[in-house]
Amino acid sequence: MTDPTSATPEGRSVIHDLGYRPYTGARLGEGSIARALAVTGFRNAFGLGRSGRSKVLPFVLLALNLFPAVIVGGVMVLIGLDELPISYAQYASTTQVILGIFVASQAPVLFSRDLRHGTISLYLARPLRASTYALARWAALLAATLVFLLLPIVLLYAVALLGELDVTEQTREAGVAVALAVLLALVLTGIAGLISSWSTRRGFAVVATIAVLLIGNGIVTAVQGISSEEGRSDVGEVAGLFSPYSLYRGLATAWADVDALTPPTSAGMEALYALVLVGLSAACLGGLVWRYRRVASA
Amino acid sequence: MSVITLETVSRWYGNVVAVNGVSMTVRPGVTGLLGPNGAGKTTLIALMAGFLAPSAGTVTLDGVPIWRHTDAYRTIGLVPERELSFGYLTGRQFVRANAELHGLDAPGAATERALSIVDMTEPAARRIGTYSKGMRQRVKLASALVHDPGVLLLDEPFNGVDPRQRLHLMALLRQMGAEGRTVLFSSHILEEVEQVARQIEVVVSGRHAASGDFGQIRRLMTDRPVQYVVVTNDDRALASALIAEDAVVAVSLRRQGGVDVSVSDFGGFAVRLPRIARERGVRILELTPTDESLESVFSYLVER
Amino acid sequence: MNATILRLSAQALAGRRRGIVLMLIPGIVVLLAIVVSALTDDGQGYEAVANLGFTLALPIVALLAAAAVLGPEVDDGSIVYLLAKPVSRHSIAISKYAAAWGATIGLGALPLLVSGLVLEPSDPGRAFGWFAAGAVAGTAYSALFLALAALTRHAVVVGLLFALLWEGVLGNVLAGIRWVAIGAWGREVGAEISPLVGGAGTGLGYALIAAMVVTVGSVYFAGDRLRSFTLRGDE
Repeated sequence: MTDPTSATPEGRSVIHDLGYRPYTGARLGEGSIARALAVTGFRNAFGLGRSGRSKVLPFVLLALNLFPAVIVGGVMVLIGLDELPISYAQYASTTQVILGIFVASQAPVLFSRDLRHGTISLYLARPLRASTYALARWAALLAATLVFLLLPIVLLYAVALLGELDVTEQTREAGVAVALAVLLALVLTGIAGLISSWSTRRGFAVVATIAVLLIGNGIVTAVQGISSEEGRSDVGEVAGLFSPYSLYRGLATAWADVDALTPPTSAGMEALYALVLVGLSAACLGGLVWRYRRVASA
Repeated sequence: MSVITLETVSRWYGNVVAVNGVSMTVRPGVTGLLGPNGAGKTTLIALMAGFLAPSAGTVTLDGVPIWRHTDAYRTIGLVPERELSFGYLTGRQFVRANAELHGLDAPGAATERALSIVDMTEPAARRIGTYSKGMRQRVKLASALVHDPGVLLLDEPFNGVDPRQRLHLMALLRQMGAEGRTVLFSSHILEEVEQVARQIEVVVSGRHAASGDFGQIRRLMTDRPVQYVVVTNDDRALASALIAEDAVVAVSLRRQGGVDVSVSDFGGFAVRLPRIARERGVRILELTPTDESLESVFSYLVER
Repeated sequence: MNATILRLSAQALAGRRRGIVLMLIPGIVVLLAIVVSALTDDGQGYEAVANLGFTLALPIVALLAAAAVLGPEVDDGSIVYLLAKPVSRHSIAISKYAAAWGATIGLGALPLLVSGLVLEPSDPGRAFGWFAAGAVAGTAYSALFLALAALTRHAVVVGLLFALLWEGVLGNVLAGIRWVAIGAWGREVGAEISPLVGGAGTGLGYALIAAMVVTVGSVYFAGDRLRSFTLRGDE
C-alpha cells in the first residue's frame, strides 16, 4: 500500500490509494452460479424479469393451454359428470400444437441470445464451465415446459377431487400422466434447445423446431393411418418411434386411458418407446453440452 | 447545395422524450453532431433521414418534409449505425445493389467509383460476412456514396475503424464538405469531431445544447473560467499584477516560461491585459487560449 | 416490381441453412409419397399425404419464406439500406412478396402435385386439384405472413398460431372457422377441379374473393408499414 502523503520521487508515477476496496468476502461457487442461472432462465422463459412485451406471448400461450382445462372444470361443475371428459394423459396430445409453439418460441430466449450477441463469454468468464451453463439453461427450459405441462393436470385433478370422483383412481391416473409429462418435457426441451443453440436466428429456430415436432408427427400419423387401414399395424408401431409426440401418444395409450392408432402392443415395444424417449432426450442434452463446449473453446 | 432544416422538432416514445424542441439548420460543409451516448443523436439522424416522424415540429430538406418522401433519397446518402445483415453478399454485390436501387445509368461504374473512394476495391469480392468491423463500415459508406449524394448523414461512422482508416475517412469527410456537400456525422468522441468539423451541434439529453463554431461557443460561456497562456519578457512581474485583477481567478508560472491565467470575465480581461502590460513595462510575446478544445466545451455542457 | 429487391430476396431465401430447411420440407412430403406408393396399392394413403402437405408443410413453407424475405431485415433494422432509396415502398413489398410467393408455390404447392401424381397416376385431376388448392392457399398465406413480418417481431409465432391453432385445431372443432381460414378457401377452389379434395362449403366465389382480398390487402399493408418504417437506435 502506498502512503498518499509521501512525496513522490521526481519522474516516478504512482497510483494513489483512494480507499477503493475489492470484495474480499467469501465467493459462491459454480453450483450457486448455475442455480442462479437456472432460476433466471426459468423466469425469463415466461418473460418475468424481461420487458412487458416479452410477457405477452408466453402468458397468452399458457392461457390458451389452460383454456380447455378451465372449460372441463366448468362442465364438471355445471353438469356433474362421473368422470373427466378428457383424461390427464390425453391433455398434452390435445394441446400439442400450443405446447410445441411454447417450447419452440421460448427456447431461443434461453439458448440463442447469448450466442448471437456474444454475451456467452461474459458468463464463461466466471467460474462456470460451458457444460454447466448448458445444463443450467436446459434445466430452466425443462422447468418451464413442465410448468406448462403440469398445470392443466393439476387443474384437472383439483376439479376431479372437488367433483368427488374416486380419489385412488384419479390419483393413480394423474400420477401416470405426470410421469408421461416428465418424459415429454425432457424430449421437447432437448430438441428445442439443441435447435436453438444451433441456429441463432430466432424466427428460424422457432420454425425449425415446429417443423421437427409437428411435421415429424404429421408424417408418423400419416404412416400410422395408412398402416392401420392396410391392416399392418406393426409398421405403424415402429413408425411411432420416430417422433416425440407419437412416442408420447404410444406410451400414453399403453399406460393410460388414451386412444391412438397403432399403439405399442407388446411389453418389449413399450420399453423400446420409453427407451427411445429417454435416449433421444439424453442425446439432445449431450449435443447441447457439446455445442457449448465447442463455443467455449473456439 | 442542400440544406436540412429542423424547426422546433420533438420526438417522444410514450412518455420518454428522445428529442426536445430542437431547431437547427444543417448547411453545406461538415457538421459534427456531438453528444454523449443516449443523447438522441441517432434519433436526430433518423429524423433527418426520413426514418422517423417528428412528434412535433418539421424536418425539411430544401423546404420539403422528409418523412414519407421517398424521392428525398436521391439527394440523401445515409450511413446508419446498424450492422449490415447482408453477410451472404459480397461487398461489390451489395454496393452494386444499392446503385441499382438508385436507378443509376451505369451502376457498375458507380460501384467501382464508390469502392475506390473508400479504398475497398480489393476486398470487394469477398462476402460481407468475412469482413472486419472497419471494412463493413467502409462498405456502408460506399453504399451511401454510390449515387453521389448532396447530403451525407453518418451515424457514428468512426466506430470500430482502425486509426489509419479513421484518418482516411476523416480526410474523406472534409473533402466532401469542401466540395459543397452537406455532411453531418454524429459522434460521442470529441477528438473525432474536432478533427473534422468546426461547425458543431451539441445535443445533451435530447436538448439542443449548443450550435455553431466551437471556438465561439466556448467564448460565449463567460460564466466559466477561460484558460490562457501568456508569454512575456518578464512573466513574474505580469503574474503579480494579474493576480490583483478582478477578472482573473488563478495565475501560475510555467516551468518552461509563460504564465497560465484563468479568467472569469473574458471581456474585462481583454481590456485590462494590454493596460497592465504597459503600466508594468512588460512586453507580451504571445497570448494563446489553451483550452479552446471541444473537450472543455463539451465537459462543461455535460456537467451543467 | 423491382428486379434488384427480387434478386436480393431470392438470395436471402436460398442462402444458408434456411434454404436447406426450405428444400427439406417438400422433399420429405414427396419422399413419403414415393415410399407409400411403393408399399401400398394405387391411391392408398393419398388423403394422409395430401393432408400433411397441405395443412402442415404448405403453411410452414409459406411462413418460412415470408419471414426470410422480410423478418431478419426488419428485426435488425438493416432494411434501412433498402429503404434509403428512391424506390416506392409498395414496389419493395411487391418484390419481396414475389420472392416469397415463388418459394411457396414451388416448395409448398408443387410438392402436392408431384406427390399426388406419384400416389395415383391414374387420376391426375385429383393431383391438380390439390395443386390448385395449394396455389390459392399459398398465395394468400405468403401475403398474410409477409404482412405479419412487417408488423411484428413475433410474426413467426403469430403465423404459426394462425395456421396451426386457428385453422388446424380450432378449424376441426368449429365449422364456422372455414369462413376465415385460408386453407378452407384453397380446398374450395381445389374441389372445383377434383371433388376428392373435399371443399369446405364456402362457395367458389367467396373462396376466390376472400383469398384475393387477403392477398392484396396484406401486400398493400406490408408496403404501408414499410412507408412508415422507423429506425431506432440501439439504446
